[in-house]
Amino acid sequence: MKIENTKAQMRKGVLEYCILGILSNGDAYASDIIEHLKNAELIVVEGTLYPLLTRLKNTGLLEYRWEESTSGPPRKYYSLSTEGKAFQKELKSTWDALQKAVEHITTSN
Amino acid sequence: MNKTININLSGIIYHLDEGAYENFNLYLNAIKDRLSHEEGGAEIVADIESRIAEIFSMRLSEGKRQVVTQEDVDFIISTLGRPEDFAEAAEETETTQTETKRRFFRNPDETVIGGVCSGIAAYFNIDVVWIRVLFLVLLFFTGIGFITYIILWAAIPEAKTTAQKLQMRGEPVNLGNIEKKFKEFEAQGKAFGKKFKNTPKGFFDFITNTIGAILGFILKFFGIVLAIVGSVIAFTLIVALIGVFGSTWNLGGFDFIDINGYIYGMDGAQALFGSGWRLMSLRVGTLLTLLMPLFALVVFLAKLFGKSISNARLLSFSGIASFIIGLILIFISVGSLATDFKERSTEVEKITIQGNSLVLEADILEESTGFLFDIDDDQLRVENVRFNIERTNDSTAHLELKHSASGRNHAEARQRAQRFDFKTEQTGETLRLSEYFSVPEDALYRGQDLKVTLRLPVGTTVFLDPSLENIIYDLENVQNLWDGDMLGHTWIMTERGLDCADCPVIEYYSAEDLEETIEEELEAMDDEIDRKIEELELEIKRLKDR
Repeated sequence: MKIENTKAQMRKGVLEYCILGILSNGDAYASDIIEHLKNAELIVVEGTLYPLLTRLKNTGLLEYRWEESTSGPPRKYYSLSTEGKAFQKELKSTWDALQKAVEHITTSN
Repeated sequence: MNKTININLSGIIYHLDEGAYENFNLYLNAIKDRLSHEEGGAEIVADIESRIAEIFSMRLSEGKRQVVTQEDVDFIISTLGRPEDFAEAAEETETTQTETKRRFFRNPDETVIGGVCSGIAAYFNIDVVWIRVLFLVLLFFTGIGFITYIILWAAIPEAKTTAQKLQMRGEPVNLGNIEKKFKEFEAQGKAFGKKFKNTPKGFFDFITNTIGAILGFILKFFGIVLAIVGSVIAFTLIVALIGVFGSTWNLGGFDFIDINGYIYGMDGAQALFGSGWRLMSLRVGTLLTLLMPLFALVVFLAKLFGKSISNARLLSFSGIASFIIGLILIFISVGSLATDFKERSTEVEKITIQGNSLVLEADILEESTGFLFDIDDDQLRVENVRFNIERTNDSTAHLELKHSASGRNHAEARQRAQRFDFKTEQTGETLRLSEYFSVPEDALYRGQDLKVTLRLPVGTTVFLDPSLENIIYDLENVQNLWDGDMLGHTWIMTERGLDCADCPVIEYYSAEDLEETIEEELEAMDDEIDRKIEELELEIKRLKDR
């Protein structure tokens, strides 16, 4: 059992919630999201994110629009759909409960 | 100058240099491969391409560059991650490694000369040391190694790109492996940027790079020649010095030096250098000179086995220093020896021989060293005796011993010339000579030689036993026979010299030969008559004066 694998699994579990959380604060394009996640050390490489974003978009949680960029090709700006907003709220309450539960279990021992 | 390849990413054209393109293409294809099974894979690839385009644009405008280099591709890979990272439902299973076809490349990352050996080792997947040892053996014993190496060096291309390096080892060219290679590079401390920074950016760079490459090639070429010549010299030097070393220290009776059989090992060095400071200086000198090739060998072997020696500089410096000091000591020792040969002196001794019919024999040495030197019982045995027979006007026969020796000055030479011992023994008609003479060991060898001349009155007969073979030296005789042919015959001393009493009649091969012989004999007679006349004239003068 490698510690790295476990860590990765943990991060992966909260990644969707984090993306939705970032977008709940405002629209962002892929690099912005990546930037946030990298700073929080939730992801190491960007590659992980693209399939995830596409899947979230395809399931209808995210919407996007094209915007011109001064440096490079046009960018995809993502935003939460109404469905996505509800999804995010749902996840937030789950996360808060989960956090408390984990806190409780790990400290009460 | 590097070729560039144009690619289109999200509608923008980028110029990639060739090596960068090769790796980038592999990378992108691996990602596409990975994502092809995913739902919406094409869209994800488009997003990724767009992101890559963004990064390229950013880096190019930051660096005010036109061409995407390996450095940029490397940055992309480290930013976006390996292809495995792109699969969302990333199962942590390793991709099955299919063995791809290996190709011959020279390995530029592990070179002693041109990377041929390490390339071959990579191809056959064995340790490079074995290939190098094989080449060295081929080089030293047949020389084929050298030619083979040059041909292979010219024929096998160098593995320039990471993809080629993977093919060289037969590893599948996929992104996981490329990434692995990059990691290895970094681990080796070869910063990627450094390696690819020499991409020409302008005309001036192009010129300097070209000159650099040409100079590099020339240096490399001379380097090889030097390395080969150097190793041959070092090898010879080691063998020679071990010889001198062995002979001066007498390591278990090594007889290393055998120059035409003249000097034999320990005896040779001691007979020449005595046992004083000169011998010590020679010994220490050879020991010190030996250190340099030994150190060089150590460093060379260390390089061969891929180990770096931390204090190689100290080692080579002390090697050179001890080599020079050693040479100086040897020169001093040999130089001072040379002064001992400055003057030469000869002593003459006469031994009377009885009888007018003699049989000459020699004591043949059972263990002859051929010429010089053998020390036993404080005596230096010198096998340098030259025996000759001449006519005398005296009434009795005698042996004349002429012993010559050298010395630092005349007095020393004379003193040394007096000190010798030559055994002769007469029993009845038989006269036994010895094949050698001896001098005291402390007299050292200073060019001593001995000329033994048997002077016979006219009418004396002498039988030359075949045992005289080794000491007989240029005997004049009427028949003009070679020394060897004179043995085993009885000779009689005449006015004209030694005449064979029992030789078969000489067959002349031609009229010229016969005429020549007659002429020679007439001349000899003329000389004889002149001598008689002179004698008679002297007698007449003496009578008149009275």
